[in-house]
Amino acid sequence: MSGSKMTQRHFRRRLVATTAAGALLAAGVLVGTASSANAATAVKGGTLYFITNAQQFDNVDPARVYTGRDIAFFNSYLYRNLVSYKPTAGAAGSSLVPDLATNTGVPSNSAKTWKFTLRPGVTWEDGSPVTCADVKYGVSRPFATDIITNGPQYLVDALAIPKNADGSSQYKGPYKKTGQALFDKAVTCKGTTVTFNLNRSFADFNYAMTYPAGAPVPASKDKGDKYDLRPYSNGPYKIATYKIGDEMHLVRNTKWSQKSDTVRTPYPDDIVVRFGMDENVRDQITLDDSIPNAVNLDGLQPANLRTFFADPKRASQRLNVFDPYTRYAAANVSAGHLDCLDVRKAIFFAWDTQALIDLAGGTVFYGTPGDNPIKTVLGLDYAPTTGNIHDPAYKIGGNPAKAKELLAAAKISCPATYARVTDPAQGFTYDTAKSATQQKASVLIQAAMDAAGIVVKFNFIPPGQYYSTIGDTTKQGDLSRAGWGADWANASTVIPPLFSYPSSNNYTQNSKDPAFPAFKAMSDAALAMTDRPKQAAQWKKLAQYAMDQYWILNPIFSKGQEEWGSKVGGVYFWEPQGTFGFGQLYVKG
Amino acid sequence: MLKYLIRRLAATALVITLVSMSVFVIFAYLPMDPARLTCGKACTPSIIEANRHRLGLDVPVQVQYGRFVKGLVAGRHYGEGVASFDCPAPAFGYSFNKHACVSTLIADAFPVTFSLAIGSFILWLLIGVSLGVVAAKRQGKWQDKASTAFVLVGISLPTFISGILILLLALKFNLIDPIEMGRWVSPFTDPIGWARNFIFPWITLALAFAATYTRFTRSNVLETSSEDYIRTARAKGLSEKVILRKHTLRAALAPIITIAGLDFAGLLGGAIITENIFNLPGLGRLSIRAVLVDYDLPVILTTTLLAAVFVVVMNLVVDILYAYIDPRVRVA
Amino acid sequence: MSQPFLEVKNLTVSFPTEDGLVRASNDISFTVARGETLAVVGESGSGKSVTSLAVMGLHDRRSAQISGQAILNLESGPIDTISASPDVVRKLRGKSMAMIFQDPMSALHPYYTIGDQISEAWRLYNDGDKKAGIKRATEMLDLVGIPGAAKRVLEYPHQFSGGMRQRVMIAMALVNNPSLLIADEPTTALDVTVQSQILELLKNMQKEFNMAVILITHDLGVVAEVADRVSVMYAGKIVEQAGIDDIYYQPDHPYTIGLLNSIPRVDQLEGRRLIAIPGQPPSLISLPAGCSFRSRCSFSSQVPNNLCATAVPDLDQKISGHFSRCHLTEDQLKKARVSTGAVL
Repeated sequence: MSGSKMTQRHFRRRLVATTAAGALLAAGVLVGTASSANAATAVKGGTLYFITNAQQFDNVDPARVYTGRDIAFFNSYLYRNLVSYKPTAGAAGSSLVPDLATNTGVPSNSAKTWKFTLRPGVTWEDGSPVTCADVKYGVSRPFATDIITNGPQYLVDALAIPKNADGSSQYKGPYKKTGQALFDKAVTCKGTTVTFNLNRSFADFNYAMTYPAGAPVPASKDKGDKYDLRPYSNGPYKIATYKIGDEMHLVRNTKWSQKSDTVRTPYPDDIVVRFGMDENVRDQITLDDSIPNAVNLDGLQPANLRTFFADPKRASQRLNVFDPYTRYAAANVSAGHLDCLDVRKAIFFAWDTQALIDLAGGTVFYGTPGDNPIKTVLGLDYAPTTGNIHDPAYKIGGNPAKAKELLAAAKISCPATYARVTDPAQGFTYDTAKSATQQKASVLIQAAMDAAGIVVKFNFIPPGQYYSTIGDTTKQGDLSRAGWGADWANASTVIPPLFSYPSSNNYTQNSKDPAFPAFKAMSDAALAMTDRPKQAAQWKKLAQYAMDQYWILNPIFSKGQEEWGSKVGGVYFWEPQGTFGFGQLYVKG
Repeated sequence: MLKYLIRRLAATALVITLVSMSVFVIFAYLPMDPARLTCGKACTPSIIEANRHRLGLDVPVQVQYGRFVKGLVAGRHYGEGVASFDCPAPAFGYSFNKHACVSTLIADAFPVTFSLAIGSFILWLLIGVSLGVVAAKRQGKWQDKASTAFVLVGISLPTFISGILILLLALKFNLIDPIEMGRWVSPFTDPIGWARNFIFPWITLALAFAATYTRFTRSNVLETSSEDYIRTARAKGLSEKVILRKHTLRAALAPIITIAGLDFAGLLGGAIITENIFNLPGLGRLSIRAVLVDYDLPVILTTTLLAAVFVVVMNLVVDILYAYIDPRVRVA
Repeated sequence: MSQPFLEVKNLTVSFPTEDGLVRASNDISFTVARGETLAVVGESGSGKSVTSLAVMGLHDRRSAQISGQAILNLESGPIDTISASPDVVRKLRGKSMAMIFQDPMSALHPYYTIGDQISEAWRLYNDGDKKAGIKRATEMLDLVGIPGAAKRVLEYPHQFSGGMRQRVMIAMALVNNPSLLIADEPTTALDVTVQSQILELLKNMQKEFNMAVILITHDLGVVAEVADRVSVMYAGKIVEQAGIDDIYYQPDHPYTIGLLNSIPRVDQLEGRRLIAIPGQPPSLISLPAGCSFRSRCSFSSQVPNNLCATAVPDLDQKISGHFSRCHLTEDQLKKARVSTGAVL
């Protein structure tokens, strides 16, 4: 339900919403990504409201937030990382700027060692200085995996600390202190300089440090699980109240100084997130502009979206942009499933992409057919692929004739798989979330498959259990609806997690594919490359490879919309976080 | 009577114990794995196991139940070092989603749900009973027809529609501040603010329930009116007013106590839809989100248990009340 | 005979229904004086209760159409309970006229104590607090022969047996010294042994309070014990009205004869067979022309010119004080009485 909707629509990395409802969008005009945030007119003061149906932030603890929206929100207001994305619209927003550190990090030892030096004059909300020890302590917390849940695992994976056989780190975090010496070797402090020793070359480690999991935490304030209720601030605001199911109220942190901060320009005096609002009430406020200083944190429901985007008077109160996600169907290529390239291609060509996009809101609002797991917003790493949607036989509404041709080929190349997907008693199973929209979509998929003589069976999974079900190799079907967005502007956060090793995000089970070993070798090589253009070229090749193997079918480059009240100024789309640039929002006088 | 009470209380305790055991067993054998479901976004087998340990699900179900019972009496301790904390007795567990002891969550939510329940209860009884009586007394007249219309609307309009309609209307006429709406205000510090907060939810719930009670009262009053003892009362020379008030209503309303008691008990468990619409942080919202969003076992367990306790206890109260009203069911 | 206390004149009660007008009680006239007991006899649906409820003003006037008169000759002057305002009639109920009902099990309110219910009736017409009411109730219970009245007055109806409850009903009806008591099948729901006790009590009470009593019953056996005069009703009409002896020894209507034949009698030979009256009473919505009893009467063929089928017989006074509604001659009736063995 609604609480997770917040997560599902906005988390930046990883899986996209299991129900299309979150991205079911309406007709209207594509507004540019930059809605001019004219800093000259920005004014200080006032109360900025955020209204949401969710009961709470999934997490507030810096080591535990993991959704682009929440990272952007808390990073803008409460806690600072060593480095940050540039707070600006467009592609420039994906570039790194120093934040707590004096630069964006200095790699050495083939990017296996990274050093950051802290900026002087940065203090906590009680006025005490932010120290290297605070950074080190903050970085240690994600290792306590039985307490610090939900957060990213980059630091746990990459810091030079030995692993146990089950893949867990030998360091158990600052509470148990098991293996503390190992951690103390991996992360060292010398004066105000913190050094990270990594277990591999990690050319874009500084991008990983944009995650608040790498942010400092004062050990004296840590309360384990309960730190999630009241993280200590070194940003321009601090938490006055946070009552789950009620509100979060942020007030100015008087110990913060603009001098020490080149990233944030805090305008409102008060920031209030009101939780638990009925979706209709929340939308009505946006539609009526009855609280003009309120931002709709969840986005309008589809029907309301149509109305809102059709109103020319609201042109300056909305965004319609490509979100960070690619949505696709992951083919389970392990033996006994879709282990036949010709069959996968047949399904691809039979697919009625047009009907599905129309169902979900049309190309203007839902998205456009994609040709790549890497999205166009990763400008450096994206290049159009060949084949798939560029194949002359491809038709957006499906090409059953071509599909039948491919099936005929499959009958010879892999008779068992062919027999299964054409047998009315068997067919292939399609995993999707149990929702009204997906049930409608299944009818369209069924029709397209029927036309090509392919048999499809649907496995509707309750939304809350969707990813945990298809992530279980024993429960996954043949084709699973999924989605992914880059963690930062590098396809290193797309290709490897989706295709290069068995992970809870790799729903292709491609390690069993004969094409896999060569692919993995190339991918591992790319990860270690510090020459960014060379690395990009490698990602492009790997993306082409994945598409040629039809490990994922029919990707959609999806879009997202945001809406806010008429008195909210300074709005822009912060591309790397896939959400508002919260730090520049202000309340118009 | 005392003996009866003791016997009933013992039975109540037994029922509650059985319900708590059943809930444990049911959740232990559900095909879903809470450790996996709440494992978070970066999930690996070792993280699932860590999460299982965190949730206290890495021990057999009887040990989990033992911890639960012990916690009720002695409180519970969680975590290690600086990450440790206590839930004082009676501890119903800890919600890792809401970062709070379940007993605290319940203590926060219960006054909300109770306020909602008691207000709407009084409102719907007043509306339902008076409309029902008027309809019965004016059988076939316009009053009866109007009340039939009310019943039809009330019964056929689900609260998720009537609630939204009422709410949107209230917003339209600026009777509600959507930001402040639903925020808990204690009736002891600000009775007016409290009532203002609850008036529309009360109306929403009362509308749904009053319809049933109107129909029930009407038919009961009509049925009782044809009883011999009403004719006797009339033969005595009593006025119609006295007959209605003293003779008809007492008998006609006695059965209403049973359904009213159970309806009230049900509401105490949480009015899920109404609480969600009006953003009331009550037990209904707490439990439904725990089930649908968070898969928060200690919360689900406690709210289920609590709902069972309300039903069982209200049953006892109803029986005692009934015995008070109807001498025939008094135990010898 | 003194002036009758109650004079019912041409009382007709009908109920409009979807199927037509139900004439439940049709042109009824009778009188009853203080100290006198009039039994109204007939099978169910003959209009006995409807008539008495009309006298008491207990019909819902929205559903009952009532014409005629029921005059109570009170000390303050006569009042017609049919035409008087409901409020006036209400204030006569319980005080000047009282009624007890067939089923004592359901006629008492289950939620109130006996004392409460009697006291309520008393306090309606007497100044006195609840305590006085209970005291009065205790006296009344004592009077109607309920042992341990002081204790039982605080008990609930379900703690009493059927006979005791009927005693309670009688006590409650008599608490205000009414001049008229209508007892509607007061013994029907009771055990046979209890029946006679109740009848005995009624008889004693009548003497004690010098009341006019209307005893409604379908049981001629009951009538013999207590009634002075009897009205026999059939299909909404009085078909015979006479003194008690006349009814038993000189019944002047084939229906009365039939009724007598259907009950066992101590004054007759042993081994006499009881004979049921064949057929069913006619529908009160569409009464046949002529005599209502015609279709069940084994003597109608003796009447010339098919008169029974065409003319409603008048309620004629064949001998003094003995009225009957039959086309048969006295001779024919006499033969009928003998031939059926109704009368020795």
